[in-house]
Parts: sequence; structure tokens; C-alpha cells
Amino acid sequence: MSDDTLISKRITSGRASGPVFIILALVATSIVYPLYFVIITSLRPNVDYLRDPFGLPGEWTFDNYLRLIEVYGVGQAFLNSLYVAVVTIVLVLTLATLAGYALAKYPVPGAKYATAIFVSLMLIPGAVLIIPTYVMLARLGLIGNYWGLILVYVSGALPFAVFFLSLTFRGIPVEVIEAARIDGAGFFRTLWSIIIPMGSSGIATLAVLQFLGVWNELLWALILIPEESMKLLTPTLASIGTRFLTDQPLVSAGLFITASIPLLLLIFASKYVMQGLQVGVSR
Amino acid sequence: MTSASLTSRAGVASAAPAGGAPSVKPRRPGAIRKKDRIIGLLAVLPALLLVVAFSAYPIAFAVFISFTRTNGLTFEWRWFENYIAMVSDPIVQQVFVNNLKYLIAIPLVIFVAVVVSVLLFERVRGWKFFRVIFFLPNVLSIAVIGIMFRNAFGYYGGVNQALGLFGIEPIEFFTDGSIAIAIIILALVWSGFGYMSLLLFAGLTAINPAVFEAAAIDGAGWWKRLWYITLPNIRRVLGFVFIINVIYTFTGLFGFVYVMTAGGPGFDTTTIDYLVFLRAFSSSNLGSGAALAIMLFLFIGVLTLLQNKVFKLQEED
Repeated sequence: MSDDTLISKRITSGRASGPVFIILALVATSIVYPLYFVIITSLRPNVDYLRDPFGLPGEWTFDNYLRLIEVYGVGQAFLNSLYVAVVTIVLVLTLATLAGYALAKYPVPGAKYATAIFVSLMLIPGAVLIIPTYVMLARLGLIGNYWGLILVYVSGALPFAVFFLSLTFRGIPVEVIEAARIDGAGFFRTLWSIIIPMGSSGIATLAVLQFLGVWNELLWALILIPEESMKLLTPTLASIGTRFLTDQPLVSAGLFITASIPLLLLIFASKYVMQGLQVGVSR
Repeated sequence: MTSASLTSRAGVASAAPAGGAPSVKPRRPGAIRKKDRIIGLLAVLPALLLVVAFSAYPIAFAVFISFTRTNGLTFEWRWFENYIAMVSDPIVQQVFVNNLKYLIAIPLVIFVAVVVSVLLFERVRGWKFFRVIFFLPNVLSIAVIGIMFRNAFGYYGGVNQALGLFGIEPIEFFTDGSIAIAIIILALVWSGFGYMSLLLFAGLTAINPAVFEAAAIDGAGWWKRLWYITLPNIRRVLGFVFIINVIYTFTGLFGFVYVMTAGGPGFDTTTIDYLVFLRAFSSSNLGSGAALAIMLFLFIGVLTLLQNKVFKLQEED
């Protein structure tokens, strides 16, 4: 360990760290400044913004947020998104934990084929599924119904989720499970008292990742929920963004509302977010 | 909760006699194995059925639709009519060329990602914090990123306001297809490089430090080490990053196009996946959209196979 750091120190100290730090800081600024600009803009009236867009607001106000929530249904859309995301996560985690545990530790007949199906369906582009899924859900009467959307989300998330959890659970030593089984613990008992606690980091990573995925999704939310009152947050934001081109502060408030939950997750669960996205090539 | 505890008790009950009866020992492993196979199958089945019903079946259904003329209610079998029409469709051709234009984003993203990952690898003060910052756009919705850029380059947006400080009149950026594509590419680079640099960074940490040390002892400078050791050693990750970017460019731009330009002006910024969406909801024949989607699917499939082949080859090196 100390050898490693010694070596890497020697390599990296070949050049002054000043320029490196400055370049990284500049790149970081290019990320942070636009977000700062959005947040500041969302807290001022439009007139104030047009007068001096880059200065601090001459007048601070929450008016943009209140208007979005009271007049344009953003509050309702926020709750709709939260509902769909939570239900989706619960279903994905439940089904993927069951399947992942079985594939990792049980002699599932045809496990090879099941795994092959999951892996090959991991990177299906949404464009391929739009038309058949829409026709199918229309026949089932599930357009404009959250369950249609949730089924699409869950089945879209499952291939990666099962694959990821079966890898995670495979790392749990067989001896621990065997010991529990000798004591008489069955499938659900070992799952509940050994697999889930020992795989909790992987499960949390998956939960955060899938939550972000559903919260941020636009295409399916847009086409499967046409009703205005049932709309999720991203389609609502998209329509506000195109309707109010002249009112930057209002749109900025919408942007910040939509970004708030992911930003909170990044701040408070950055470990899981980074882990998850490092593993999850599919976005 | 209740059903789980019930079942687990049933599991305990049925497992106990087998464990408590040494006389049946020779038959026990087989019997348990059979039971385990059934339990395992039952646990996998719900996920598998759902995935087959909502992912595998729709693909087959899309293939069927692509051979028909349909409004979604009645299907008329027309063999390859949609595919033939697609090849000679000027809009499809234009849109394909558009997609090729978007590919310009890839060398840009990779360049920025390489720079950032190599600099992060220097592990200067606060590099972990920088890593989280660079990663920030990845947790944001494409809708958020797209509208942010559309706003920034809008008539009243930050960019025009900044130009105004220099006395330049506001510019309508999105009325010109090429400029609109350039702005979307900028959004792609801004939002994409953090994730890519994370992948490259993982590749860098996998390089054996002894190699660097040996080079440093031989008197190789920082740039030499970068060119002769660092980059060649992460070429596999670079290849991987390249392929996933190509796939993303062909399948993942819907959100950006939808919120930033709606494909316009004309079809100047429309991508293939956005055209599939347009055909699905504004055309009387869903078959043509499905044919386009299937072609895209095959194209991505070939790319993925190529990627696997390339990786196999390099692993054998």
C-alpha cells in the first residue's frame, strides 16, 4: 500500500501540479457555472433578469416556483414522477433480487438461456420498442395508465438489474449460505437474513441507479401518458421549456425542480451513484 | 412480508426431516437438488416472463409490423414494401447523414475525457471532488440538459446576453441546421465527458505502476510517458468508449432533439431515433417507422458484434 503511493507520487510529481489543478478547475467551472446560472436566474423576476442577467438578482423571489406549481401543474407532475419511480424501484428490486439470487446460488434449469436472454436484452434501443409497445399497450388499454408505463420501465430495467445482482450475490461465500441451510433456513429465509444484508451495498447502488433512470426518462413518459393531469415531470418540463421561450427565469425554475432530486442523490449518495454508473454502461 | 415468512416456514418444515434422517443420506442430495431446481426456476420466472413479454416479444412484433401496412389496428402484409420505400426515401437519407454529422461529438468527447482522466490521474489536491463535479451532468435528465442549452442559446439566453455586452445583436441560433447540430454536439460533450473520463480513469488505475517507474528511471518525460505508455495501455478502454459512443449517437439523441429543436428546421437536426418517433405518431403507416427501427436495430447489433470481436482479438494479444 505505502509502496504504491510512493511509486505513484514519484511518477506524478514529475511536473508541477499547479497547471493540472488550474485546468481541472476550469473544466469544473464549465460544469458548475451553467448550473449556478440556472439557479440564480430561477430566483429573480424576468424583468430583473433582462436588466442584468449576469449580476446577482436585484430582487430575490420564489414567484417562478410558485407559478409553476400553482398554475402549470409542476407540483402534481413532481408527485406523479415520484410515485412512478418508487413503484418501479420496488418492483425491480424485488424481482431482480429473487432472480439474481436464484441465478447466483441455485441450480436453475436453463440458467444459461435465462442469462443469455437477460444479457442480450440489456441494450435494446428504445426506438425499436416504441411502435410495438405502443400498439400492444393500446390493445391492453394501458395507454394513459401508470401501470403500462411502470411495466415498460420494470421490464426495461430488469435485464441489467438481474445481471448486476446475480454478480453481486455470487460474491457471497457459499459456506455462509450452506451453514444457514443446514440450520434449516429455506430460500426466503436465506434471502432475507443473509443475501439481502450482505448484498445491501449492491442493492442500494442498483436502487439509486434505477431511480435516476426512471426520474430522468423522457420518451416513454411522453408517449404513454398523454393526459395532461397525469403527466410526469420530464414531459411537463419539456412543454414548459418550449412554451415560455421569453421567460428564462420561469423555465430555469422548472429545470431546477427537475434536477433537484438527482442532485440531492449525488450529494448524499455519491458513493452509490458513482459505483452504479461505473458499472452500468446502459443509461 | 407475510407471504415471505410463510413460505420460509414451509421451507424450514420440508428441509428439516431430510436433515434429521441420516438413513436417507444417499438420496438426500438428489432430492434437495430437485427441489432447489424448482425453487430456482420459480424465482427467476417472474423477471424472465416480464422481460420476454415487454422486451423480447415487442422486438418480434416490430419485425412483423415492418412487413405490413398498418395503422395499428388492421395489418396488411406487404413483404418488403416498407424497406424498399425506406431506401429511396430522401428524408431517411438526410436523417442518416445527420446522424453521421453527430458523430463529430465522439472525438471531442473522447479528447476531453482523455485530458480530464489523465489530469485526474495526477491525483492533485481535491481530485476526488473534481471527479464528482465532472460526473454531475450524468445524474441530470437529458430533458434538463437539453432545455438548459436551448435556453442558453435562445434569443434571450445567456449566450446572447453575453454577446450583447460586446454590442452584438442577438442571434437566432436554432434557425440554422448546422449551428443547431453544433449546439446539440456541445450539449453532448458537456454532459458526456465526465462518465467517459471515469471509465478511462478506471483503465488508468489498472496499469501496473512499475511500468511508469521503469520509464521514469529511463528518463522518459511526462509527455513521452503519456504517449508511449499511458495511451497505449488504455487502448482497449478507448475502443470500448468509442463503440458505446457510436451506439449512443445512433440511439440516444431522441431527448436532446425533442427538447432542443424538435428535429428542425425542416429535418435538419432529426436523428434516426427521432424519425422513428415522428413516423410512429404522425404517419398513417406504422410499418415504415417499424422498418426504420429494425434497420437501426440491425445496425447496432452489427456494431456490438464488431465490438465483441475487437475485444476478443485484443485480449488474445
